Amino acid sequence: MGREPLLQRFASRHPIWTLLVAIVAAGLLWLIFAPWSDGLEDAIGKKKVFLNAVFGGVTLGALYFLVAAGFTLIFGLMRNVNLAHGSLYLLGGYLGFEVSEATGSWLLAFPVVFVVVAILGLLLQHVVFRRMEGQELRQTMVTIGLSVVLADIMLWIWGGQSYTILTPDLLSGPVELPVISSIRADTGDVIWFKFPAVRIAILIAAIVIGVAMWLVLNRSRLGMLIRAGVDDREMLAASGVRIQYVFLAVFAFGAGLAGIGGIVGGTFQSLTPGEDTRFLLASLVVVIVGGMGSIPGAALGAVIIGLAEQLGLVYAPTYSVVFTFLIMAVVLAFRPQGLLGAGR
Amino acid sequence: MDGSRNTAGRLGSVSSGNALELRGVTKMFGALAAISDVTMSVRPGERRAVLGSNGAGKTTLFNCVTGDFLPTSGTIRLFGEDVTAFPAYERIRRGLRRTYQISLLFGGLTVADNVYLACRGVSRGRFSLLRPRRGDVLTSRAAELIEAVHLTAARDSLVANLSYGQQRQLEIALALAGAPRFILFDEPAAGLSPTERQELVAILTGLPGHIGFIIIEHDMDVALRVAESVTMMHNGRIFKEGTPTEIENDPEVQELYLGDGSHAHA
Amino acid sequence: MAVTEQPRVEPGQWNLIERVHPAWWVLGFILLVMPLLANDFWLFQVFGWTFILGMIALSMMFLAGYGGMVSLIQMTVAALGGYMVAILGTSGVAEISQGLPWWVYVPAAILIAAAFGTLVGALAVRTEGIYTIMITLAIASAFFYFARQNYGLFNGYSGFNLVVPPMLFGVDWRGAVPFYYLTLGCAVLSYAAVVYVSRSPFGLALQGVRDNPRRMAALGYSVNAHRIAAYTFASAIAAVGGILLVWQNAQISPGTAGIPAVIDILVIAVVGGIKRPIGPFIGALIYVVLRTFSPDVLLAFGLSGERFKLLIGMGFLIVVFFSPDGVLGLWEKWQARKPRDPLKGGR
Repeated sequence: MGREPLLQRFASRHPIWTLLVAIVAAGLLWLIFAPWSDGLEDAIGKKKVFLNAVFGGVTLGALYFLVAAGFTLIFGLMRNVNLAHGSLYLLGGYLGFEVSEATGSWLLAFPVVFVVVAILGLLLQHVVFRRMEGQELRQTMVTIGLSVVLADIMLWIWGGQSYTILTPDLLSGPVELPVISSIRADTGDVIWFKFPAVRIAILIAAIVIGVAMWLVLNRSRLGMLIRAGVDDREMLAASGVRIQYVFLAVFAFGAGLAGIGGIVGGTFQSLTPGEDTRFLLASLVVVIVGGMGSIPGAALGAVIIGLAEQLGLVYAPTYSVVFTFLIMAVVLAFRPQGLLGAGR
Repeated sequence: MDGSRNTAGRLGSVSSGNALELRGVTKMFGALAAISDVTMSVRPGERRAVLGSNGAGKTTLFNCVTGDFLPTSGTIRLFGEDVTAFPAYERIRRGLRRTYQISLLFGGLTVADNVYLACRGVSRGRFSLLRPRRGDVLTSRAAELIEAVHLTAARDSLVANLSYGQQRQLEIALALAGAPRFILFDEPAAGLSPTERQELVAILTGLPGHIGFIIIEHDMDVALRVAESVTMMHNGRIFKEGTPTEIENDPEVQELYLGDGSHAHA
Repeated sequence: MAVTEQPRVEPGQWNLIERVHPAWWVLGFILLVMPLLANDFWLFQVFGWTFILGMIALSMMFLAGYGGMVSLIQMTVAALGGYMVAILGTSGVAEISQGLPWWVYVPAAILIAAAFGTLVGALAVRTEGIYTIMITLAIASAFFYFARQNYGLFNGYSGFNLVVPPMLFGVDWRGAVPFYYLTLGCAVLSYAAVVYVSRSPFGLALQGVRDNPRRMAALGYSVNAHRIAAYTFASAIAAVGGILLVWQNAQISPGTAGIPAVIDILVIAVVGGIKRPIGPFIGALIYVVLRTFSPDVLLAFGLSGERFKLLIGMGFLIVVFFSPDGVLGLWEKWQARKPRDPLKGGR
């Protein structure tokens, strides 16, 4: 999780890849910020559509990051593949819906849901997983059983219809971004790109949370313990640290994150049975692509998968799923530990 | 490639090159150099002992030779062929074998199954879906091997139920499967009683002349009795090479290892 | 590995009469004459489904029990086999189905599904343990979403209907009794194949790879090649299960390969026990009986019949908690409690 300067190391070892990535990144930036010619628009469609897809992809990536970050932390430290993670997401979403309906406040849902789902995570870790230390397969089976049970309980309580959490008035409506959408042919006026404010807000929040997590992991004592534990769990336990408290904290935090991810998803999209599976799958793919146990990896993977999904949906709808799968297969074939995962 | 025929015998007499040749082999773990710039050659049929205190890099050396991991730099040649980048199974199929300091056996299978697997591994039919018929060649070869290490009485016992000494004997049997041309013995005497040690020495000295080996040992007695040449390692480098007598009487060796307990039985 | 009292056999011997415990003969007899005892519903819906799910779970057990790899791709492989039968054979979707004869589409379906399984294996074996679960689950999900969106080949959300077995020897193989014997025959064959192969060089090597891959490499085996070959073998069995499944339902849709179905196979295998090949069939029987009859039980308790998923999930949790080796594990523990005969020493 961040030792030597990663970029310098990567650039010096793989100069060709670095060049390719730089070209692609430059191309993307140009496409976003430069006005498009008519010829370009005839060829691949309007710039507004492209911008919607790109920003939609990045903000979807922000949502995936929130959910996948907790998943990767839990696996990285406790070697626990929490296949009930998607259920925690959906539960958080449903609870968030109830809270925001009951209190009329969208913002209040966040701390309430975080705390409730985190407590559930605490209970699971303390009562269940602690007894299965080291039996990774058994833990995974338990999480599968939990996901089945939770899914049915949620179906029982909330039924099969779809729920949407209403965006608060403050954030509803579009916001103007400093990105050129198009230029009016007659007056030469620039039309700036408009994008839903709530999605930008979530993107900013996810970046803040991600940076905060990175800071805690790399600059605080707790973070140092967690990183040490990810590297070598036995050593950490042997050094006298109350490792169980660290586990509890990490699992609770990861669960809470998944929960508030549910609120976000419920606002962006909707909450239905089946969303738990979808977000579990997304977390799996993000983490496979980005690298297990790596927060920057989760961010990178989330952005890649989010973009691939949205761009695919817009430009090649029948095959968007194939893109995601192809990316995952390619990463597995050439770099099985993930793009930013620790080499094995 | 079928080592269970006469190829090994033929090659053993014809080859004039070295059985094993290491040039400048270095293995780094992060910033730690487990072995540095190791250059050594072992002739076919030669019996070499590699000695040194714990942490000298002996087992890392073995791991590089078998292919458990790639060396950071340097080349490894096996019977003249550059095997540095080969996966472990390719090296084994060219006649290399190894025993482990801590027995690596298949606890859930019987002694007979263990030896059978070893015989199968270096011959054809690894993927055969057909069970071997009565009187199958490999099954009888496996039986001979089990006999050679005095485990016939225990052949149907699960390995998990064997005594420590029996497990070590089985470890040796696995290394003798097929037609080995060069064997790496990693502390074969560890934990054995004096009688078992005698048996071990008998097995090692009784090996056919064309089979060369390197033995890592802390028990100098066993090592110096079965070896005709000695390589001493220290801090990941080769420190001294010579005959057993030369090494025993070398003042530098004595200075480094006197009082280390290396002359006591392990 | 065998727990019953029999003379120790060489890896080669296959001496039927001496080897087989009397309990098996009784079971075999009962299964053979079942059509005389049970009605059509039990034959077709309960036993047929048990044998089919048992086969697919057996495929998972082969990889997990003998290979040490828990793969969630088996249901997907089975579904792909079923889809290929629908696509290459006849169905109600005339625009896609090719109408090839059965002796072409059955082997073709098995080959294609096994090839897919091998490909997934090639991707999955480069990682260890729990990563395998993650990767196979992700690929299984990808297949589900793809099949649901693709209308050119998989006919999307609706899938294929009217997929029935060919009329061979004048028999309607979808009739209750013929279908029972068809599925029984396939189940017995795949069970026998697994038992036989487990003691073949390939099977022994696979168990060696499970127990100690490092040692196997040092004995001259290519560990990855063996694992991938195991996927091929297991996928062939799953593919046959999938073909029988599509014939039983006379239809196939993306839901056949959905995540709930994938997890059900895992539940079946784990509850039955993955250490021995009879486990998956025990698990399948329990699952099918629960699935078929629990709605009635639930209604009797005043709960909605749909809550059977909750029952199955809780049952699974209980098994994993208290007996991770499933029903077989319970059986073995119970066997171990029996007092030893002081004269014979054994049980």
